[in-house]
Amino acid sequence: MRRKSTRALTYMFLIAILIFNIIPFYWMMVTSFKTDAEAYAIPPTWWPVNPTLYEGYGKVLMWTNFPRHFLNSVIVSLGAALLSTLVGAFAGYGFSRFQFRGRTSLMAVLLASQMLPGVLLVGPYFKMLARLGLYNTYPGLILAFCTLTLPFSAWMLKGFIDTVPQELDEAALIDGCSRVHAFLRVVFPLITPGMVATLIFAFLLAWGDLLWVLCLTSTDSMATVTLGLSRLVTQFRVIWPQLMAGSVIAAFPPMLLYLLLQNYLVKGLTGGAVKE
Amino acid sequence: MRRSPRTRRGWGLWADKNQGYWFILPCFLLLAGVMGFPTVMAILNSFTPIWTKGFQGFTLDYYARLLRDHIFWNSIIKTLYFVGATVALHLGIGFLVALALNTEIRARRFFRVMAILPWTLPDVIVGLVWAWMYDPLSGIVNDFLHRIGLIASPVEWLANPTLVMPSVIIADAWRGYPFVMLVLLAGLQAIPKQLYEAAKVDGASWFQELWHITLPNLKRMIVIATILDIIWQTRRFGLIWVMTQGGPARSTEILSVLAYKNYFKFFNFEYASAMSVAMAIFLLVVGLPYVRMIVRRA
Repeated sequence: MRRKSTRALTYMFLIAILIFNIIPFYWMMVTSFKTDAEAYAIPPTWWPVNPTLYEGYGKVLMWTNFPRHFLNSVIVSLGAALLSTLVGAFAGYGFSRFQFRGRTSLMAVLLASQMLPGVLLVGPYFKMLARLGLYNTYPGLILAFCTLTLPFSAWMLKGFIDTVPQELDEAALIDGCSRVHAFLRVVFPLITPGMVATLIFAFLLAWGDLLWVLCLTSTDSMATVTLGLSRLVTQFRVIWPQLMAGSVIAAFPPMLLYLLLQNYLVKGLTGGAVKE
Repeated sequence: MRRSPRTRRGWGLWADKNQGYWFILPCFLLLAGVMGFPTVMAILNSFTPIWTKGFQGFTLDYYARLLRDHIFWNSIIKTLYFVGATVALHLGIGFLVALALNTEIRARRFFRVMAILPWTLPDVIVGLVWAWMYDPLSGIVNDFLHRIGLIASPVEWLANPTLVMPSVIIADAWRGYPFVMLVLLAGLQAIPKQLYEAAKVDGASWFQELWHITLPNLKRMIVIATILDIIWQTRRFGLIWVMTQGGPARSTEILSVLAYKNYFKFFNFEYASAMSVAMAIFLLVVGLPYVRMIVRRA
């Protein structure tokens, strides 16, 4: 009897949490299908009276720079993800397979670098980019995003490489491979799932950033989705259906990819401190 | 004796043991460029106006100004308020949901997936959606509270200096608890079932199980989740920026927002550097136990 009531309580709690979780998504979706006039109705409607694709999705895709921002987000996030996964894989191999002097301290530096706040780096980084002529360019942003993604990628890939038995490398070395060859031919193919997971994570870390893009771009054609949307909201009169339609589109890739990555989520983001 | 390149022993940089350096070199070169150099410049710049006027001898003026500046202290208090409350809520809600998901219920996977959803949104989008939900006239929050009779007139959630921080905190609690939940759930699932069975035999109550088995076994996960969350929350920028830009009347001006404004709105480079160096020191101190924990395990 007591078990039954606890179970009922558990369900009730989970359903309450479910509703709490859903409401903002619901509001975002519903608004994206409303006309501008209906969005500002008082009191608000909980279901679009005249659902329209044009006022929200149509206008944000045709009248604003949103598609360009989306493309920029893809380019910059993908660039940072590819760069940091590649460089990170080598670093991960180095930390996983070699016992050189200073290894532990360097690993600690790598982890500690994740603690540095963006606002500490972004000012000097801005000056540096201006000097190098990289301000308001893709390479400037891609390199900037490496501050978010690289320490994380290197660490996560080290974890994946640790799971590949050392004997495999050694066998390749005996067969006459160099270390680089052993890594590229033997370990690399075995950690492909891990590389993909790391790549996606890094992509998403970059995708969600606002601070760096805000500080390192000057023209609207270089803005990413997060910056583009945040600019729409500071306008004098916000056109919510467009803004919410843009949010739905911009939220879609991360939602999908994070759900795909569920199994790596905890382990990856805690530096392997938690085994799932 | 033939010495093949891959089994080379010795002390040179090409000795097998030292090839590790070559593997990690690109990573550390890149990090030195994008993080090391800016960090050094920020530290230098907090002691001397190296960009605006050139090297002028070291001074502690900027730090002294920080200590006297009530805007800075206000922002420290707001940061503590924001970080303290959001981390507490993430842990509280996260723990309860993890406990609920660790029982034998139907559709566990479904609930788990639904519980993760908020966390998958970029914080900028979370801020936008919640700002719209909080809209005084056409927002869903006021409409709901009005319908159930809790409020008679619209509440200005984001324009009222006392209400704005709790409003922002709730939005962030919604966004951030799922990650803590996942960490704690992983911890719960690692606790051996026999411990609970033994406790049942001894006639322990639900609360005694929680206190004597669950919490002690979960301690490590709680520490890790708390440290990571404190770091992430202290650095949080996008959510607050799109919801309030630190306002109204500086009531949500957390450190990251204030430092950003000093850099890119007021161009007080030295002052902003001093502020963010202080912030970095705080974060490193908080993060140190985490770094130690992980490196020791590796």
